[in-house]
Amino acid sequence: MVITSKTTLPEESELDVQELNLSSAALRAGSFHLGKQCENANNEFMLCRQELDDPRACLSEGRAVTSCAMDFFRKVKKSCHDEFMQYANCLDKSSGTMAFSHCRKTQGVFDKCMKDNFDWDRPSYGYFARAKIVKTEREAPKKEEPVVYEDATPGLPADYPTPPAKYGSRFFWLE
Amino acid sequence: MATAVPHVPPKQDLPPPGGYKKIPFAYVPAKSYFTGFTMIGAYLAATIGGMAIYYLTARKVKRDEIEMRSAENVIFPILIAERDREFLRQLRRNRDEEAELMKNVPGWEVGTWYGEPVYKTLPEDRLVSPLFREFYVHSDWKSTAKRANLKLWS
Repeated sequence: MVITSKTTLPEESELDVQELNLSSAALRAGSFHLGKQCENANNEFMLCRQELDDPRACLSEGRAVTSCAMDFFRKVKKSCHDEFMQYANCLDKSSGTMAFSHCRKTQGVFDKCMKDNFDWDRPSYGYFARAKIVKTEREAPKKEEPVVYEDATPGLPADYPTPPAKYGSRFFWLE
Repeated sequence: MATAVPHVPPKQDLPPPGGYKKIPFAYVPAKSYFTGFTMIGAYLAATIGGMAIYYLTARKVKRDEIEMRSAENVIFPILIAERDREFLRQLRRNRDEEAELMKNVPGWEVGTWYGEPVYKTLPEDRLVSPLFREFYVHSDWKSTAKRANLKLWS
């Protein structure tokens, strides 16, 4: 394997997090409100993951993502359990792809419950598919410097004379 | 001896009374329901109507796709965060297993070929994702096959 004894791997204590034990229908049903409430955590994590490209470097951000989602679903379970389950069930059983368009009625009921209990609006349908600029505290990783070879051919000096061509241009009609 | 034969007048095959029907030799044109202009008009109407319905449906499909992508973008970080943790756990398990397996081989170093690393120009602490078979090399066949069915077929 490529993992040697010199590769640092995180300890079990860093990885031990209560995981989200939910089905995909439930995740999809809660996705829009969840995305709005955990926007910062998600953006931070994805930015870190894309920039550093190393799962070890973004463990704390990942824990934040999971705990935020956990909090969100706890709140939903407390106040809107029935509406949420109805919506998730509808998504699960209406189509093979769990498409939203078959479940607008139950979605409306769930959204209303979220609005009444938490004053959370459902973001517009393309909100999370838009490009965003994320401002973060973490410093951006340094770009790799271009490689300099010592024995590269030296270029001409900047003030090297450039007289006009002796026999004119090959593409004389462009002159 | 002669037998008396009664005289029956012969029956002739004659035209029906009033004579035969006239032979229709004149050209009978086909019955036309539409004129050419009506047909062109109907074609245009059907095409334009169809295009309008197609446009509306395509708009709805596109909207649904965007909505689905939106939802997937929200779920993605949650799944990736969970996957990363389990991935790193499994890497540690693999490394421990390899050390245990090769402890009696003199000169063996974990993750290398007797001390020769796989990637010699990379920094030492760079995490390179192992290949699929490598990742599952110490696990049982069933979990490998389960994942392979998902990964290598898709």
